[in-house]
Amino acid sequence: MNASVRISVSSLRAHKRRFAGTFLAVLLGVAFLAGTLVMGDTLRASFDTMFGNATSGTDAVVRSAGTITTPGESQGVRQPVDTGLVSAVEKAPGVAAAEPDIQGAGQLVGANGKPIGGQGPPTLAGNWIDDPKLNSYQLAEGRAPSKSGEVVVNRGAAEKGDLRIGDTTTLRTPDPVKVTIVGLATFGGEDGMAQVTYTGMTRSDAEKYLTAKPGEAASILVRAGPGTGQQELVDALTPVLPKGVEAITGQELAEENTDMISGQFLSLFTTFLLVFSGVALLVATFSIHNTFAIVVAQRTRENALLRALGASRRQVTASTLVEASVVAVVASAAGLAGGIGIAAGLQALFPAIGFPFPEGDLVISGLSMILPLAVGILVCLGSALLPAVRAGRTAPLAALRETAVDQSGASRTRAVVGTGLAALAVAVTLTGVIVSPSLWLAGSGAILALAAFVVLGPVASTTAVRVLGSPLDKLRGVTGGLARRNALRSPKRTAATASALMIGVAVVSLFTVFGASLKATMDQTVSRSFAGDVAVSTPSFGAGGSGLSPRLATAISERPEIDTAVGLGRGVAEVDGEGRALTVTDPVALERTFDLGNVQGSMRDLGDDGIAITGSEADKLGLKTGDTAQLAFTDGKKQTFTVRAVYGRSELAGDYVITRDAWAPHRTQDSDTLVAVTFKDGVSAADGKAAVEKVATAYGNPEVQTRDEYAQSSAGGIDMMLTLVYALLALAVLIALLGIANTLTLAVHERTRELGLLRAVGQTRAQLRAMVRWESVLVAAFGTVGGLALGGFLGWVLVKASDGASDSAFAFAMPPFQLTVVALVGVAAGALAGVRPARRAARLDVLRAIATE
Amino acid sequence: MSTATATKATRTAARVADAVKVYGSGDTAVRALDGVSVTFRAGRFTAIMGPSGSGKSTLMHCAAGLDTLTSGAAFIGDTELSSLDDRRLTLLRRDRIGFVFQAFNLVPTLTVAENITLPMDLAGGWGDASAQEWIDALVDVVGLRDRLHHRPSELSGGQQQRVAVARAFAGQPDVVFADEPTGNLDSRSGEEVLNLLGRAVRQMDRTVVMVTHDPVAAAHADEVVFLADGRLVDRMEAPTADKVLDRMKAFDSKGAPPS
Repeated sequence: MNASVRISVSSLRAHKRRFAGTFLAVLLGVAFLAGTLVMGDTLRASFDTMFGNATSGTDAVVRSAGTITTPGESQGVRQPVDTGLVSAVEKAPGVAAAEPDIQGAGQLVGANGKPIGGQGPPTLAGNWIDDPKLNSYQLAEGRAPSKSGEVVVNRGAAEKGDLRIGDTTTLRTPDPVKVTIVGLATFGGEDGMAQVTYTGMTRSDAEKYLTAKPGEAASILVRAGPGTGQQELVDALTPVLPKGVEAITGQELAEENTDMISGQFLSLFTTFLLVFSGVALLVATFSIHNTFAIVVAQRTRENALLRALGASRRQVTASTLVEASVVAVVASAAGLAGGIGIAAGLQALFPAIGFPFPEGDLVISGLSMILPLAVGILVCLGSALLPAVRAGRTAPLAALRETAVDQSGASRTRAVVGTGLAALAVAVTLTGVIVSPSLWLAGSGAILALAAFVVLGPVASTTAVRVLGSPLDKLRGVTGGLARRNALRSPKRTAATASALMIGVAVVSLFTVFGASLKATMDQTVSRSFAGDVAVSTPSFGAGGSGLSPRLATAISERPEIDTAVGLGRGVAEVDGEGRALTVTDPVALERTFDLGNVQGSMRDLGDDGIAITGSEADKLGLKTGDTAQLAFTDGKKQTFTVRAVYGRSELAGDYVITRDAWAPHRTQDSDTLVAVTFKDGVSAADGKAAVEKVATAYGNPEVQTRDEYAQSSAGGIDMMLTLVYALLALAVLIALLGIANTLTLAVHERTRELGLLRAVGQTRAQLRAMVRWESVLVAAFGTVGGLALGGFLGWVLVKASDGASDSAFAFAMPPFQLTVVALVGVAAGALAGVRPARRAARLDVLRAIATE
Repeated sequence: MSTATATKATRTAARVADAVKVYGSGDTAVRALDGVSVTFRAGRFTAIMGPSGSGKSTLMHCAAGLDTLTSGAAFIGDTELSSLDDRRLTLLRRDRIGFVFQAFNLVPTLTVAENITLPMDLAGGWGDASAQEWIDALVDVVGLRDRLHHRPSELSGGQQQRVAVARAFAGQPDVVFADEPTGNLDSRSGEEVLNLLGRAVRQMDRTVVMVTHDPVAAAHADEVVFLADGRLVDRMEAPTADKVLDRMKAFDSKGAPPS
């Protein structure tokens, strides 16, 4: 064993360059993983501290016990409490102070007329609580609001909107309210709670604009007197509270808040990053395996000599593994340090780009140290295992033979197994997509397809390189021809090198295709079910924004150019015990501006006890027209509704429709998410749009969009998401390119004499460089084409499986432009990867290369 | 002695003047060539002989533009090699010089035909129809017509060297340098290769400079130049194997280092 170690250490020292690529691949993958974990933990801890600080003065919270949660939401809608309870709470023993906390949505408009925030994080408004200990926001500058129209905003929002104390602006609640900023606030010492914007109004303003009726609040915040603990306070409060109202400690509230952020945002964020570091590590596995396989093949003679001199198989295998372990440990440790560095860098960078990153030290847990190290070492050792075993199997006689470079590859077994896998993959996938739609089956099929691609790589590489390289002979003469044949020399090696890039490109094209399909789906949805001329909406997606004033639709419909303007509001209720989102609107107008498909019954007279349901939901609940369903609302009231209509198409209109009259008794803060407008006959599109825009200006200037514009903006978020995905995948592609460069460097080393011969008989340095570069381009092109094919197929599977497994219809789209860009980038990157090996090759000494041994 | 032969009014294919080549520096410096001047005449088959370490390979490498001299000058025709940069030197090797090495003469990924035309393919042009005819004739001379589409790995060692000979003459170079072209061959294959080189000189008016340590091989040449310790020590016209062997033995008895 000692001898093995000595041999590997000296071999490592002699061939540092060979392992540079492996080292970097492991380092980058591990750094990504470690950075993600450390950043996740740090963010979580910082949010903990921030919420702890912000609510440290609140000892107990009184609120309604029940919530209604609709599918796809993590936080339910809670019924308000009666502010009349405040006086009862104040009388309870141990209570020092109690304040109602009114919460709603309120989006500020910045100095430039554009709304602030709303692109995801909530835009909140509430009553400014004068008791500084109960208020989670602290006044940093200016003063508290004292009369109607005065507000305090958090400093981050003010900076973003370029607003200063004394400025007057609009707050969309969603009814536009003229407000004057009198103070700036901080949250837990920061300029805001991440990107959330906050506006604090007087209590009467808050009641007027943010609640359905005065005397309601989201909760009552309670502070304990000296000597009363939080639990004691809750115990004292509980007896004085009516049924359906609960008290929890401030501690519990802070935990809930943190969980909400951690659960919603952070978990999603870290999972997302972890998936991509997984892709990077998978790609690294291929590169590393390839490097070791080549190094072992090149060292056949050396290993055979060791065997001939009496080294056992185990010793030879062990010496390769020891070599791998040294690389693995050093690279993983460096990667871990790099990852922590990245996290520290981001922590410093985030505030600089306007994202308040909560203060606090980096949190480096045991897991985020051990996991990246373990994964890095495992990936590296696992990749080296097979080559190491092969090294041990070297026959002693091989020392006497001329070194034969690994030329194996397209064996029959491989072709048979690969074809079998591919057939199985297609069968499973098609079953999962067409026969019995299931994401699980389709997913298994996708993984099988990936395996089939990897197994078939060497079989396909010969044909693929021949086809891809065929223009090279004409284009680049003998240099191109030599490049093509070099790429064909070892199909297995070419395939393994290209596989790494193939996986990277496959994931890139998968997202590209999926993103384009989502866009096409939205486009289709809008063009199919939106029958109006323009749509008015707030430029937001996700939970952000405050919505539109319910009065906007009425105001628009009063214009002479307008035929119908209908606002779509949102409500929640439990239908048969399940939380559901309701569309609150005028059903008659809805039918005129949206294509609801085939309607059974009539949308005409839903009245205040009728409901319209989509066909798919009705089938699920076993309801048809004339049946009744019981709805439970957030105010605790239950009401029986009669199904008066069942409609076919729900994409924009939602699954459940009730009238505004039916919703009125249960309403909370009123807002519409969309106003759909149709013009009168003969009104030009420009005139109609101008008329709507004129009205909209008075309502906080929401966006007025034609059908096409509306469809496009609905898809806007997808582009942002794709950009992020591409950025994250860049690392995987970089690792794949390192692999190509490394393989080429090893190949150049292997072909020293041949290259020398070429130089001797008249190949110029430029021609030699071009030859190596073109080989690199060919390998990259093979990987890119394979990746595009695989990614395109997987994208199709994902779209079709989603289509089959969910109610909404998904459209499939292949974006030719984007995919062409992906292809070009892949090939160009190949040329880049070839630069260094080409330069090394060109520097070879002609004489040394042709000198006989 | 070299000045005596230079007076003959014949064309010069290649020559070196006062060639000095030093490897390494300081105490470890080795003078591989120590002031050699020699002219290789066109249309002649010249052999360079000498014991191991005599500098014969170094002389060939420097004369052929594969290596540079420490001092002195090397010419191909009238072109002085030290004035050329790497690119022009490469082009000169490609267009005006042919090479046959001891081993590893062929590019394994190219067929026999492609290996033969490699220098011209690298030049990017094929020239005229006469070049075609020339190569066609060459293929017949080396007797490889039925192997044109084989890969080097499918040929025997002797066949491989014959391909290398064809490649060396394909571009009708000013001079072909052969470095121990029979070193790796059995005597029958070696004989074939040497006959080919001889025929090229005598029947096709080509010029060959061959490095060898084998008196039998040297006997195929028109003239032999002897090197020892980096110096030109003798020349021999119309050599035979016995005469060459005797001359070599004389070196040993004079106390020239054997290796």
